[in-house]
Amino acid sequence: MNRLPTNYELPTTNNQQRTTNLLRSEYLVLFLCAALFLGLAPFTPGLASAGNAINLLGNLLPLLVVAVGLTVVLIAGGIDLSVTSTIALTSVAGALVMNGDTGWLAGTPLAVPSAIALMLLLGGLVGAFNGLAVTVLRMPAFIVTLTTMMFLSGLAIWLTQSKPIAHLPAGFTALGTRLWLTLLVAAALGAFAHGMLTRSLFGRWLHAVGHNARTARVSGVPVTGVVIAAYVVSGVFAAAASVLYTARLETGSPVLGQRLLLDVIGATVLGGTSLFGGKGKVAWTFFGVLFLTLLDNALNLLGLSHFMIMMVKGGVILLAALLDAWRALEVRRS
Amino acid sequence: MQNSHPSRTTNHEPRTTHHDQLSFHAITKSFFGVKVLKDVTFSVGAGRVVGLVGENGAGKSTLMNLLGGNLRPDAGAMRFNGSDYAPRDPRDARSAGIGFVHQELNLFPNLSIAENLFLDGFPTRGPFIRRGRLRDLAAALLNRAGLDLPPETRVERLSSGERQLVEIARALSFDARLLILDEPTTSLSARECERLFALVGQLRAEGRSLIYISHALGDVLRLCDDVVVLRDGEVVGQRPAGEWDPGRMVSLMVGRELKRLFPERAPPAQRGGPSSEQGGPERGTPLLEVRGVAQPGVVRDISFTLHRSEILGVSGLMGAGRTELARILFGLDPCERGRITLAGEPVAGTPRRRIRSGLALLTESRRDDGLCLEASLADNLALVTLARYARTPLRLLHLGGLRDALAKIREAVRLQPRLASAQPVKTLSGGNQQKVVLAKWLLAEPRVLILDEPTRGIDVGAKFEIYQLIHDLADRGAGVLVISSELEELTGLCDRILVMSHGRITDDLSRAEFDRERILNAALPG
Amino acid sequence: MTFLRQRLLFPALNHATLLLFLGVLAVFGALSPKFFTAANLTNLLVQSSSTAIAGIGMTFVLLTAGVDLSVGAIMFVAAAVAGKLAQGGAPLPVTLAAILAVGLLYGAFNALLITRLRILAFVATLGTLYIGRGLGLWITQTRPMDLPDGFLALGAARWLGVPLPLWILASVLAAAHVTLTRTPFGRRIYAVGNHLEAAKKAGLNTRRLLASVYVLSGLCAAIGGILSLAQLGAVSPTFGANREFSAIAAAVLGGTSLFGGRGAVFPGTLLGALLIQSVENGLVILNADPYLYPLVTSAIIFAAVLADATRNAWLERLGRRRIYHEHG
Repeated sequence: MNRLPTNYELPTTNNQQRTTNLLRSEYLVLFLCAALFLGLAPFTPGLASAGNAINLLGNLLPLLVVAVGLTVVLIAGGIDLSVTSTIALTSVAGALVMNGDTGWLAGTPLAVPSAIALMLLLGGLVGAFNGLAVTVLRMPAFIVTLTTMMFLSGLAIWLTQSKPIAHLPAGFTALGTRLWLTLLVAAALGAFAHGMLTRSLFGRWLHAVGHNARTARVSGVPVTGVVIAAYVVSGVFAAAASVLYTARLETGSPVLGQRLLLDVIGATVLGGTSLFGGKGKVAWTFFGVLFLTLLDNALNLLGLSHFMIMMVKGGVILLAALLDAWRALEVRRS
Repeated sequence: MQNSHPSRTTNHEPRTTHHDQLSFHAITKSFFGVKVLKDVTFSVGAGRVVGLVGENGAGKSTLMNLLGGNLRPDAGAMRFNGSDYAPRDPRDARSAGIGFVHQELNLFPNLSIAENLFLDGFPTRGPFIRRGRLRDLAAALLNRAGLDLPPETRVERLSSGERQLVEIARALSFDARLLILDEPTTSLSARECERLFALVGQLRAEGRSLIYISHALGDVLRLCDDVVVLRDGEVVGQRPAGEWDPGRMVSLMVGRELKRLFPERAPPAQRGGPSSEQGGPERGTPLLEVRGVAQPGVVRDISFTLHRSEILGVSGLMGAGRTELARILFGLDPCERGRITLAGEPVAGTPRRRIRSGLALLTESRRDDGLCLEASLADNLALVTLARYARTPLRLLHLGGLRDALAKIREAVRLQPRLASAQPVKTLSGGNQQKVVLAKWLLAEPRVLILDEPTRGIDVGAKFEIYQLIHDLADRGAGVLVISSELEELTGLCDRILVMSHGRITDDLSRAEFDRERILNAALPG
Repeated sequence: MTFLRQRLLFPALNHATLLLFLGVLAVFGALSPKFFTAANLTNLLVQSSSTAIAGIGMTFVLLTAGVDLSVGAIMFVAAAVAGKLAQGGAPLPVTLAAILAVGLLYGAFNALLITRLRILAFVATLGTLYIGRGLGLWITQTRPMDLPDGFLALGAARWLGVPLPLWILASVLAAAHVTLTRTPFGRRIYAVGNHLEAAKKAGLNTRRLLASVYVLSGLCAAIGGILSLAQLGAVSPTFGANREFSAIAAAVLGGTSLFGGRGAVFPGTLLGALLIQSVENGLVILNADPYLYPLVTSAIIFAAVLADATRNAWLERLGRRRIYHEHG
């Protein structure tokens, strides 16, 4: 059964029960996507066009990658607010290595692979730092990652003196401009994360720690290691997303991802991954990202100004949190 | 002040006179079909101190919860101050004039004594606290409680004994006519105890009544006018203090009936496993050796040996340090001194390493750290042994193998077949939940299993099955350490019993020596 | 942990900010003689007044172990509303009142989300942060809005020789300090932050207490916004950006614990705000690259939170129950 846990009564068929069952279903957000699309398509010029679908996909895929990384951290019971700044920093770092003008490895065949490797490594280091601060130093996750966010963002801007870095090699930018490549990368990462979460030892440990870290510790789970690894995954995925974003933008930008934080958290929580830990799936995050990207797309096509969209998204994140709290309460009550 | 003699038999004639402050009449209470209080009848005269003694689980807390408005009796009645008393919540109890001083202190360490005392009723002038008046009021209360400290002192700087006196002062703040002191001396130094006793005398002189609950029988006899002994929810003895002696009290607390609640067990010599090299056909080879384990303030001089196929019980009162010892043995809490070896190999490090050495720990509270309540049955069962089914750290390929193992263990612990593997464990009954925790550890095939209150909060049927599982495990050669507050459980289950009190082992009895009075005496302070 | 270590390290952790502050003063003073002039120091105080007031509001929230990430957005929305009113010809007192009203309403909305709808504080205020910024941008149509001279006059005005912003800061500080130390409400906030369950058992109306701190935070954010406007005279699209961060920093640097139940506005939060501002001030005087500011600020905040977490861990360990006493 794909239901979130119910109280094992025989289902009645009255409308109230059906509504509750719908709200509890893990496909709720998918239904919302469909509802959103069908509802807005008649009024929104171009929403249903092929060109738009390609545009949508281009927005969706990198967001999905970073959101999947965040999902891993949320399952472990943590939170990572620094993902967007990680995107910015790694974007800048990669560009510094491979850009055609002043890049350290400019022109060499190793430029692109080294740049990507550096980006991923950097993302992992950021994650390791966050993880250590949260576990060994016992600092609250949200303030640690908030501080890291500020620091990394400032670092990216300082390194580039707030100037974007252009002229990235074509071999790199193809990853973003050729949609099928982007799709390949995103799908591979998504599949990897899914496999890790559902089939690997680490994945099970993640869920256990998120459910009850004390029980996990008593049961022999290396809690500290698991949590740090979760943050490392988040950092690496953010870096991978940065690869895709930077490639698409064809520029290393120190403010890349600045507006994304809301989207990332909103999409992940809306999809069904719980802020309280222990629960989350790659598929759910996909639904959430799809919804948010579709919403963003539609509102843009409808001509809403970006601040209107910002408000709507703020509302969406509140709704998502409300739903999450309600689900947690419902499960507890049964 | 006169005192009406409380009835000694199960005669339920309410014999309240207007001199009685409080009386219970045929109070009965059940939980899940189990009678926890049966026909409890006694009274507390005005200006009298009544001691209430009984083992853990005798019904004292339930009775006090009824008095305090946290629970309602199934049958019977209470009278206080000459009228019927049926509180619906703790506030009713408070307004009636009943003050509780609990074992668990409810103070805010980051506030001052005075602020703690008047937190929900500050003296004010306009929006501001009248500091002078607050200080004076607090000082007056502290004075009566015998605590000589400035009221502005922050509670975090007080010792637990001083905090206890603050709690008493708080009960006095609303002029309680009846005070209940629940285990007041457990954290007190000798000097603080004397202060407390002086306070009790003073309160009595003011015409207040007290119910004094304590395991320190000597203190009880010294302080109280009358003593009531509870056992298994019934009043089994009620006399003025002068007519008691500790020995008789203990006998009554312990009772003489033995119930047949335990599966038959062959004596150690006939069980499987190698016979001992150390001589004596009753002991297997030493398995777990604990020498000189100590952690300041927690446990001291802990040394014992657990043998193969042996079920070793650890008895003692709550707060004696048994759970703390278990956690130290398992590596959850630090220990400053001592050595632990399992079959000759040293045991050290994180719980993970100790599990690999062959240790297992079923904790005191399954809800807190025994289960992941929101996770499924299967996930909980697999938690400890998961790593065995992972090919490389990345893959969990052997899902089939895991499933088989889970199915087998489910059968072994007789977990109800109709429970779905995907069901969240929180939907299970207490007994089934405990079986899940036990199964989780059994899967790991431990050499030493430590059980902390393994049958707490579960029904009789499940209890029996768990006892059987413990026997089976021991018969297969493992050593089992059972911590329990139910003396009966230990005497029925174990080959040997250690008794702990105040952080150290005070007695070690083999099965032939099992004597419940002796055990209780070793557990009591002093 | 030895007794001596306890005697030294614990007070060091508790007074970390004061030490840091003195340290920073010393460093910058040594590096540049311009630092210790009266003009610069007064300037410092005035510049930090806005952060200090927002930090005071944040202190109330942190004391209950909550957080308010929407402070900057509140400032922005309030300022935008005021600007619109002023452009429409409203007199200064009306615009000021409007700012305060916006702060109160916004705070009440946060309170509703957190105490009634049970949404985690940081998510709720993150959501309202975005709603607020969007709202503000909508009101200002993303264009900078000049405010009437009345605001700048407020900033430059002096009464008895002391700049008006300092009087406002002093009043808010005094009111907050008195509330926290001398009113039942204030003392109960500390209780709630220390142990929510125990506070409920003690009969306190915890929901109302928790709701109030968010309303207060909104109000303080609004007042802080006024002082900010008084210095800038205009509302730019980035007005109030990241102010919640400096507010949290001011409070935590001042000794307020993120875990609740511990902290003070005076001297604590005030010192924290001064510290942050003086770091920035000092960097300016040293002609340091302005892009370095967020790096330095976040590093300092990290250190402060680390000190808080370490102290908390120690307190927890010390608070464990003792089974026996060494000396009878």
